Amino acid sequence: MDTALAYKERFVRGEMKATEIVEKQLSFIKEHDPKIGAFLSLLEERALKKAQLLDAKRRENKPLGKLAGIPIAIKDNMHIRGEITTCGSRFLTNYQAPFDATVVRLMEEEDALLIGKTNLDEFAMGSSTENSAFHPTKNPWNLMCSPGGSSGGSAAAVAARFCPLALGSDTGGSIRQPAAFCGLVGFKPTYGRVSRFGLVAFGSSLDQIGPLAANVKDAALLLEVMGQHCDKDSTSLPLPPANYLAELQGSLQGKKIGVPWSFLSSLRDPVASNFKEALGLLKELGLSLIDVDIPILKNSIAVYYILSTAEASTNLARFDGIRYGLRSQKAQTLSEIYDLSRDEGFGDEVKNRILLGTFVLSSGYKEAFYKKGQQARTLFIEEFRSAFTLCDLIALPTAPSAAFELGTFHTPLEMYLQDIFTTPANLAGLPAVSLLSGFSSDKKPLGLQLLGPQLHDAEVLRVASAFEEALGLCSASPSLEAKP
Amino acid sequence: MTDIAYEGWEPVIGLEIHVQLSTASKLFSPAPNRFGDEPNLNISAVCTGQPGALPVLNKEAVRKAVLFGLAVGARIAPLSKFDRKSYFYPDSPRNFQITQYDQPLLLGGVVAADVGEGTKHFCIHRAHLEDDAGMLKHFPAFGGVDYNRAGIPLLEIVSEPCMHSPKEAAAYAMAVRAILQYIGASDCNMEEGSLRIDVNVSVRPKGKEGLNDKIEIKNMSSFANMELALEAEIRRQIRAYALRPHDKDPIDKGTYRFDPGKKETVRMRTKEEAADYRYFPEPDLPPLHLSGAFIEEVRRSLPELPHQRYERYVNRLGLTPYNASLLINDKPLSDYFEEGLKHCAHPTHLCNWITVEFVGRLKETGKRLPEMGIPARHIAKLVSLIESGAITGKIAKNVADEMLLAPGLDPEEIVRDNSAYQPLSDSKEIGAVVDAVLIENPDSIAALQSGKTRAFDFLVGQVMKRTQGKASPSVVNRLLKERLKRD
Amino acid sequence: MDFSESELEKLSRLCRIELRSDEKMRLRENLSKVLSYIEQLKALELEGVAPCNHVLPQLKNVLREDRAQETLSREEFLKNAPQHIGGMIRVPPVIRMEE
Repeated sequence: MDTALAYKERFVRGEMKATEIVEKQLSFIKEHDPKIGAFLSLLEERALKKAQLLDAKRRENKPLGKLAGIPIAIKDNMHIRGEITTCGSRFLTNYQAPFDATVVRLMEEEDALLIGKTNLDEFAMGSSTENSAFHPTKNPWNLMCSPGGSSGGSAAAVAARFCPLALGSDTGGSIRQPAAFCGLVGFKPTYGRVSRFGLVAFGSSLDQIGPLAANVKDAALLLEVMGQHCDKDSTSLPLPPANYLAELQGSLQGKKIGVPWSFLSSLRDPVASNFKEALGLLKELGLSLIDVDIPILKNSIAVYYILSTAEASTNLARFDGIRYGLRSQKAQTLSEIYDLSRDEGFGDEVKNRILLGTFVLSSGYKEAFYKKGQQARTLFIEEFRSAFTLCDLIALPTAPSAAFELGTFHTPLEMYLQDIFTTPANLAGLPAVSLLSGFSSDKKPLGLQLLGPQLHDAEVLRVASAFEEALGLCSASPSLEAKP
Repeated sequence: MTDIAYEGWEPVIGLEIHVQLSTASKLFSPAPNRFGDEPNLNISAVCTGQPGALPVLNKEAVRKAVLFGLAVGARIAPLSKFDRKSYFYPDSPRNFQITQYDQPLLLGGVVAADVGEGTKHFCIHRAHLEDDAGMLKHFPAFGGVDYNRAGIPLLEIVSEPCMHSPKEAAAYAMAVRAILQYIGASDCNMEEGSLRIDVNVSVRPKGKEGLNDKIEIKNMSSFANMELALEAEIRRQIRAYALRPHDKDPIDKGTYRFDPGKKETVRMRTKEEAADYRYFPEPDLPPLHLSGAFIEEVRRSLPELPHQRYERYVNRLGLTPYNASLLINDKPLSDYFEEGLKHCAHPTHLCNWITVEFVGRLKETGKRLPEMGIPARHIAKLVSLIESGAITGKIAKNVADEMLLAPGLDPEEIVRDNSAYQPLSDSKEIGAVVDAVLIENPDSIAALQSGKTRAFDFLVGQVMKRTQGKASPSVVNRLLKERLKRD
Repeated sequence: MDFSESELEKLSRLCRIELRSDEKMRLRENLSKVLSYIEQLKALELEGVAPCNHVLPQLKNVLREDRAQETLSREEFLKNAPQHIGGMIRVPPVIRMEE
C-alpha cells in the first residue's frame, strides 16, 4: 500500500521522479475523480513546477524536506497564494488568495507536492459535504453515501488513493467524522498547536487544521511539519515542534482509557458492537478501561451550535460584496450590495447558521444563550480535567452511525445531532483522533475516537498507532478500478 | 416670546475623545500607520478584512495607552480583553470592530486644567484601545473606500459628565491633548483626524441632583467650534425645556452635528432601530494581564508632564500663568522655548520675545515659529544682547524682522553687519544730544523738579528718538541724571 | 421556541441577508426547532460559573513589536475587488450615514 512515507522513499531513492509522481497522480485523479468529486481544482501547473524543482534538488544532492515527493491535497478553505480559495461557496468562486496559509508555507518548505484543493461543506458548515455550492462528494467505499463533512473532499481523496495525505479543518468534528466514514486516520490537534493563519475562520475558538491519512505514521509526519508556533496567529501555542514519529514508540504500560458509559446508552449497531470490540482490543494491548462520568457531554451539540454559530456570524460578516467576492448584479444601492450579495452568495445552511449565531448574540437573548453557552463551556473544560485525573485518554465512537446515504437528512437539526461525539473535543480544546476500527456488515468503515488532555497529542498518537497495528486493517482500501 | 432664564440652568458635559496613537504600524497588523498617502497603500490582509487573516496586538500601542493611564493617574486594569462590536459599513473591513467593551485597559484618572479663575480637576471614566475604520469618500457619482486608516490604533478616552461650561470642556480637551503630546502618544492633529471629539451634553436646573436626557454632538472640527457648538446646544436645550415643558422628549434626543455657518446644532438622520452591537469576547486575541514589572518599566519612561512643566514655568522661571499656559498648550512652541532656555538666562524675556514678538510677527502668515528654521538659541542670543546693553529693545525689533526674513541668520552677525544697529555708547555724542534735549524741554525739567518722575522717562525717550534708538539706555540714564543734578 | 416572522425580519436586517419569501418559512421552522433544542441549557446549573473566553488559559499578553511592513500591495488587494476606481473600492453613492 502506498503510504506517504513510501512515496517519499521512492522519490528520495530515485525510483521515481517527482514529476512522474505528480503526472501519475493527476492522471489517476482525472480518470476517477469525476465519479467521486473529491477535488474542486487541481494545481497542475504549480505541482509540476514544484516537482521539477524537487527533481533538480535531488539531482544536485541538496538536502530534501520531510515531505519530499509526497502529493498532498488541501481542503479549499485554506489559502495558497495566487490560487483560488472557494470555501465551497458561490461567494468566492473567483477569490484569489493574497497570502499563503502558514501550514501551506510550512509544507512547501518541506518540499510537499500540493496537488489540489478539495471539496467541503460551504464555509466548513456541515457534516456531509452536501452543502458545497458546487457538487457533493461521494464516499469511495460506497458511492451512494456521503464521505462525511465538512472535510469530505480531503477524506475521499485519501480514501480513493488520489494522494496519501490531505489537510482538513475540524471545528466540531470535520476531520474526524469524514475519517471514520472513509476508513482513515483523522487527527485534530490540541487547540493552538497548528496555526490558523490562512484558514478561513468558521468558529475561531474551535477551529484546528489537521491531517487525514491512511495510517497513523503518515498523520504524525504531517503533524510534525504543521505543529509550529506562528507569530501571525495570536492563539498559537509558543511551543517547539514535536517529534511525533519518534514518540510513536513507547510503553502503554499502566495507561488507562476512560469511557463515559452513561453518555453512550443510546448507541446502536453497527457502532455499538464495533465500539465494544475496539475497547476489547485496547484491553488486549495492556490498557485498562474505567468508567468516567462527564455529565456535560449530553449538552455538547447545544453548546457547540450556540458558540460556533455566534463566532461564525461575525467571521462571515466580512463577506459583503464590497472588497472581494460576489457582488450582486441586481444591487443598485449600497444597502442592496450587502443584502442581495449575501443572499445570492450564501447557501441555505450558511444562512441558517448566520441567523442562529446572530440570534444568540442579539440583545435580549445574549444572556440566555451565548452567555450560558460560554459558562457551559467552562464545565466541559472542568469535567474533562477531572476525568483525566482518573484516566490517560478517553474513548468514544467517532460518529453515531456509519456513512449515511446522500440526501438522508432533511433538517439541519438531524444533521447537527451527528456531531454528538466529536464536538466535545473542540469545546475543551483537546487533541482527538479517529481511527479505522472495523467495518459494518455492508462494508462501511467505522471509527474509534481517542481524546487526550490538552498538549497530550503525542500520547494520543501513540495509543492510536498501537491500536492500528494490532487491528491490522490499515491496508484495506475501497475498490476503484486500477489503483497506482 | 417668553423670557428664558438661561442662568437658572446648569450644563452637564462629557467628552469622548478618540486619539490615533502615533505607532509605526497599525493596532493589529504590521501595515504602516501613516497619514496622507494615496488610497490603499498602507494596507494588509488584516485591515482589509481578508478571509483567513488574524489580528496580532501591537505592543507599542499598549505601551502608549499605559503611559497615558499613568500620566493621568488611572488604574491600569490587571486584566483586560478585547471584544467584537458588530455593525455593517463599507469603511469597516470585517463589519465588526475590535474594541474593549467591559474590561477596558484604563479605569479612572484625573486631568488638571486651567479654566480662567483657577485649576479644575476633571475625572476620566475609562479609556480603551480599539481599531479605527477606513474612510468612505463621497463623490458625486460614486463612493470610494480607502482602508489606509483602517486598523490604526485608537485610544478612546471617556470623561465623566463633569464639565459644566463650554470653557471647561475646551480646557479639559486641551489638557488631554497636551498630555498626549507630551508623552509622545499622538500628534493630536484635529485637521488630520488624529484627535476626534464627540460631546455629550444635557442641561438641568441649577441645584438638581440627577441628570436630564442628553444628546451627542459628533466630530468637533476644532476646539473653537466645540465651544460654539456647546454654547448653541445649551441654549437650544434650555429654550426647549422652557417652550415645551410637558413634552416627553423636548430636546429631541439623538445624534447631532454642528453647522458652523448657521452656528447651530443639527439633528442627524436617525435609524429606526437602535444599533445592536452584539458585543462578545474576541476569540482571536488572548487577554492582557499586564504585570507590575511592565507597568513600572513604562512608568520610568514618563517624561515631564504638562502640569509639571507649567509649575516649573510659573514657580521657578517666573512666567505669568497666562504665558505659561500659552506655552504648555503648544508643545512644539514649548519645546522651542526649552531649547532657547539652554542658551539664555532670562526666561521671562525669552518667553516674551518668543510668544509676543516672533509669534506675533508670524500671525498673519499662519506659519508656526518652530518650523521657520530659526534656531531657538538665536532668539536666546537676541535676548542676551538686549540684556547686556549691546542693543536697545527698539533695535532688537528690527533685528527680529531680519531674522524672520532670513531664517538661520545669527543676530550677532546682523547687528555687526549693520551700522544702524550699532549702539551708540560714546558719552560725548550722547552727551551732546542730552544737552540739546534738556534745552528744548524746560517744562519737563520743571515738572521733574516738582516731583513728576514720569518726566524723566519722557526725556529719555526724546534722547532715544533723536539717536534712532541706538543710544545705550544705561549711558543716557547716567548722563541725564548727571546733567540734571548739575542744574 | 417559536420563531415569528417579525423576529426573522429583525434578524435578517441585523445580519444583512435579504431573505426570499419562499425560504422564510423553512428558515423559521429550522430556527424554531434548533432553538427548542438548545434551550436545554436552561436546565443547567450555571450559577457562579465563569464564562470561558479562551480554552488555553496559559495564553495571554501575545504582543507584536511595532515594526511597519508592506504585506499587501494595492494591486493585489484590488485584484479581487468587484469594482474599483482611483485606487479605491467603488460603491454606489451614499447618503451620509452617521455611524
